[in-house]
Amino acid sequence: MATERARRGRPSWKRHSSGTFYLFVSPWVLGFALLTALPLGYALAISLTNFNGRSDRWRWVGLRNYAELMGDAEAIASLVRTLAYTAIAVPLMVAGGLGLAVLLNQRLKAVGLFRTIFFLPSVVPIVAMAIMWKLIFNRDAGILNAILEKISIGPIAWLVDPNAFYALIILTLWGLGGGMVIMLAALQGVPAELEEAARVDGATRWHVFRHVTVPIISPVIFFQVVTGIIASLQIIIQPLLLAQTGQVGNVGEVPETTHLYMVQVYQEFFVNSRYGYGSAMLFVFFLVILAITLFVQRSSRLWVHYTVDREADR
Amino acid sequence: MTITKIPTPAPTVSTRRRARRPRRPAKTAGAYLLLMTLAILFAGPFAWLVLAALKTKAEWVSIPAKLLPEAPQWDNFTQALTEINFAAYLGNSMFLSFLYAILVTFSSAAVGFGFARLRGRGKRPLFVLLLSTMMLPQILTLIPTYVLFARVGLINTYWPWVLWGLAASPFLVFLFRQFFAGIPAELEDAAIIDGCGYGRIFLQIFLPLSRPVLLTSFLLSFTWIWGDYLGPALFLDPDQTTLSVAISAFYLDPHGNPDSTVQAAAAALYVVPVLVIFLFAQRYFIRGVVSSGLKG
Repeated sequence: MATERARRGRPSWKRHSSGTFYLFVSPWVLGFALLTALPLGYALAISLTNFNGRSDRWRWVGLRNYAELMGDAEAIASLVRTLAYTAIAVPLMVAGGLGLAVLLNQRLKAVGLFRTIFFLPSVVPIVAMAIMWKLIFNRDAGILNAILEKISIGPIAWLVDPNAFYALIILTLWGLGGGMVIMLAALQGVPAELEEAARVDGATRWHVFRHVTVPIISPVIFFQVVTGIIASLQIIIQPLLLAQTGQVGNVGEVPETTHLYMVQVYQEFFVNSRYGYGSAMLFVFFLVILAITLFVQRSSRLWVHYTVDREADR
Repeated sequence: MTITKIPTPAPTVSTRRRARRPRRPAKTAGAYLLLMTLAILFAGPFAWLVLAALKTKAEWVSIPAKLLPEAPQWDNFTQALTEINFAAYLGNSMFLSFLYAILVTFSSAAVGFGFARLRGRGKRPLFVLLLSTMMLPQILTLIPTYVLFARVGLINTYWPWVLWGLAASPFLVFLFRQFFAGIPAELEDAAIIDGCGYGRIFLQIFLPLSRPVLLTSFLLSFTWIWGDYLGPALFLDPDQTTLSVAISAFYLDPHGNPDSTVQAAAAALYVVPVLVIFLFAQRYFIRGVVSSGLKG
């Protein structure tokens, strides 16, 4: 690095002022301030009021919203459901994505075609996804029950309790192709010599996978776990659209088992017009997500192996 | 499409196989069987959607479910186009998607250039902040943004999309930064010696070099807005909204229940642009997804 700089003459950072840098990054800095920091601060402020979104006759209520939230059985139940959904969906997504990637990383013909087929669902707009799956999950006319009845199961009412929860998981899993593509790229980055060497030393395929391949791609698996958790926690559209008439305003139609935390937040805001209380819910959720992310980050020290020094590419 | 070959730092998924020991035929057959079964599971919902779109109402509700329609009902598609003002919602979707995609691609490229090639005080903490906003659930800021924008009268206008577009996307900034960081410094050096400023270096050297990334960014962001539901549902009135909201909510039979066959036809039409874009530009999509997913 140093020799390269010497060759080029003046170090590159001396050729322009900090101003140039700030000019270029200003769209994001301003955008962050106005569209992320400001709304979050605003939410924090109104979470301390009884603002209802319309009337200007609001007043400060201090931490009353937060105190109420602590004893709100419905909100806490929706939080527990959301955590359960995440705990089930994320491992399935990550393992499924990895499994498909391993399958596609073999010496087989038409692998590209299969990759396309598996990846395709992950680019389908959520609305189309919900409409498709409602047609599949339809109790009487849906294909799923038609198939299940052939093997003498059902008919199952997929879109009402308690099965709505499983329907939501299935819908989520259909989109695991995005993760698969990332895992596949990671697998193709694993040096073949390492795996070969282990095989020569007598390790079984499973042992090579478990003790050579997985540790090498563990940073990618970790990234998938973290982004998967964050995506699962904030899920809202899927339960709303899988509900009976599939309109976003009809929160009341969402079955109890898929009445997740963000659905509850939506209800407080747009059905009950309790903006203050809803904002408090958002803020608590922000802290929950932060805590979970930090926890996973910490745990990563135990199982994520960084083969390259991450500081080195600075 | 002419895309100049340039070294790209973003890893691409290749289907090229690595040298492996020969496999036993039985195992290979098993792998194919598994792949075929999975392919049916993943492609099945598309097929069922199209089949539903081609059925009569009677066929759709018949028990047990019929797989194939007796005669394809193309009329469902005509109805999908005429029952609601499909063209107008399509226009809204197109307009918003183009508007956002163009703005966000340009702004993210500029920010990515800043982080890749320029220096300034506090650059590292800023970049860490940018990366951590990738982790911030969008939904947490979306509802307060709605409340805020409602107060200043930006609801039922397209201004939110202009602002979101101008504000750059952390995901795309990261994509551009990775790409720009891999471009040799000599190009920049030569331009500086010739008296070129960073504005011109960005516009006349880096942007033309980054056509594949620009395309990736444009296509990804276009499909985000095309598929977005909550944004238009919250920020736009029913007459100004996009296809995604219209399709989910406006196809109703006289009893107020979803008009399934017509809705299926509309949904099929709505997915087509995304599928076409995806199949046409698969490798760009994959590069976009992969290069932002491999580095934390």
